[in-house]
Amino acid sequence: MATLEVRGLYKTFFPGTPDEVRALRGLDFSIEPGSFVVVIGTNGSGKSTTLNAVAGTFLADAGSITLAGHNITRWPEHRRARFIGRVFQDPLAGTSPTLSIAENFALASQRGQPRRLGLAVTRRRIAEFREHVRPLGMRLEDRLDNPIGSLSGGQRQALTLLMATFRKPELLLLDEHTAALDPRSAEQVIRLTDEIVRSQQLTTMMVTHSMAHAASLGDRLVMVHQGRLILDVTGAEKRRLRPHDLLEKFEELRRSDQLDETAAQLIRASYV
Amino acid sequence: MTLLLGSWTIGLILALLALGVFISFRIFSFADLTADGSLTLGAAVAAALIARGYNPWLATSLAVVAGSLAGGLSGLLQTRFQINGLLSGILVATALYSVNLHVMGRSNVPLLDARTVNSDLQGVVQKVSGKVESVQLLGSSVRVSDLVNLGAILLLVCLTAWLLHLFFKTSLGTAMRATGDNPRMIRALGVDVGRMITLGLMMSNGLVALSGAMLAQYQGFADVQMGIGMVVLGLASVILGQALVGRGGIGLSICGAIMGSLLFRLMIALALRAGLDPNDLKLITAVFVLLALVLPRAFQLRVKPAPAGRL
Repeated sequence: MATLEVRGLYKTFFPGTPDEVRALRGLDFSIEPGSFVVVIGTNGSGKSTTLNAVAGTFLADAGSITLAGHNITRWPEHRRARFIGRVFQDPLAGTSPTLSIAENFALASQRGQPRRLGLAVTRRRIAEFREHVRPLGMRLEDRLDNPIGSLSGGQRQALTLLMATFRKPELLLLDEHTAALDPRSAEQVIRLTDEIVRSQQLTTMMVTHSMAHAASLGDRLVMVHQGRLILDVTGAEKRRLRPHDLLEKFEELRRSDQLDETAAQLIRASYV
Repeated sequence: MTLLLGSWTIGLILALLALGVFISFRIFSFADLTADGSLTLGAAVAAALIARGYNPWLATSLAVVAGSLAGGLSGLLQTRFQINGLLSGILVATALYSVNLHVMGRSNVPLLDARTVNSDLQGVVQKVSGKVESVQLLGSSVRVSDLVNLGAILLLVCLTAWLLHLFFKTSLGTAMRATGDNPRMIRALGVDVGRMITLGLMMSNGLVALSGAMLAQYQGFADVQMGIGMVVLGLASVILGQALVGRGGIGLSICGAIMGSLLFRLMIALALRAGLDPNDLKLITAVFVLLALVLPRAFQLRVKPAPAGRL
């Protein structure tokens, strides 16, 4: 059974206003357990909206989402967190700056669980968190008491990734999580991502703008355009993909969009 | 000496208010105006019950419950119905004015000879110490009853601060702090932000109502007007406390709020003694809060011009 099943998903933002955006137009796909799916698409294609629809940032207008055997279509965002780990594009978005590293981990270790009156950070858990951040090689294991806001964006994003996967999620959502980092940090976080996803065999969706990452990571690649999937590549075909193949796809899209535009103009000119 | 004891006692009573305001202002970063109403509500409930002969300890506890219900209502308006936090506070505080009049039955309830928490404690101390009316302290004569009042409220404030500190170290309390810090993150970790804010406002207004109940019993009356300007007074204490202890951990910040309240009360007592017109008190408090909010920003602007950032 698939981990995630999205069926006929529609979403229009600001309907009936000049700002109306038909962001999702019949999105349809499913993801098998353990699959690492890379999501690409042009700006405004709906790739981030796809992730947000699954995470529950908004409720869809039509269609259904099934995750880990539960129909979560009408679930609020915080309830879905039981199954979903997330890393945002903004490296400051995934951590609580005035709380210490240990406290942030304590919050993450209870993702989707009821919060009770037990101590959040105990000595035993500190030891656990310490072992968890040691492999990063950032010397954060000795600074667990420091507020997380004192760390760099790259360090915070690496910690957010560790936090999102501390309790093994049914689905990991990565929304351009390296786009706002400097190149060195971005590479570090990407390597960490690959390591964690492989070793824990996490079912993952990763949106990226980097064609290099899109080609080298994951075992499946989908392309979103105008709120639908227009390309879905897996297996050997995915392994053969190179960055320039992907750029070609984008170029193709651009050309066909232009064609549509000129055709529309033609019609407008002759009929309106 | 009596002046000092009196201002410390009131300072400590209002430290409970400051702790309440601390939760809304420092944890959730907005000023919860419900407190103006819930302070009076606490005083009104306690005074009305005590005047009818209820046990003062029970009356004080019920005052806390009433305050937290008011805070819960304010939180629901804000989170369930998406009403702006300032507006929902104003709405509830305005409604509470009428509620308070109903609770008290008139605009002022005196508690002169009633049995209060304070008189209970004085009775206990007198039983232990015999009939001592006053003691010598630092070269001046001090009434034992004043000392008992001060000691009792000091104990209460310490206990409250300790419990609050403990709470903010629990899983629930840590989640509440993160809610104010980064709601997006804590939602992604499965916490219902609306519920957290509502719970926080319940705690906050429960503390404020406790402050009101203690104030009414200490000064010997509850008045329907006594809540006016209390949010601003609480803000002044919290901001002053912040200046005293800096941006440290949660425990230090809690201590800061208490110290801020004490210091502010002391400053006011000295100013009044130096001839300040009591009518100007609220004006001065407001100006103080305004300066405390504006000055740091003005300094920052001078050091480095605001970046022409994106919105």
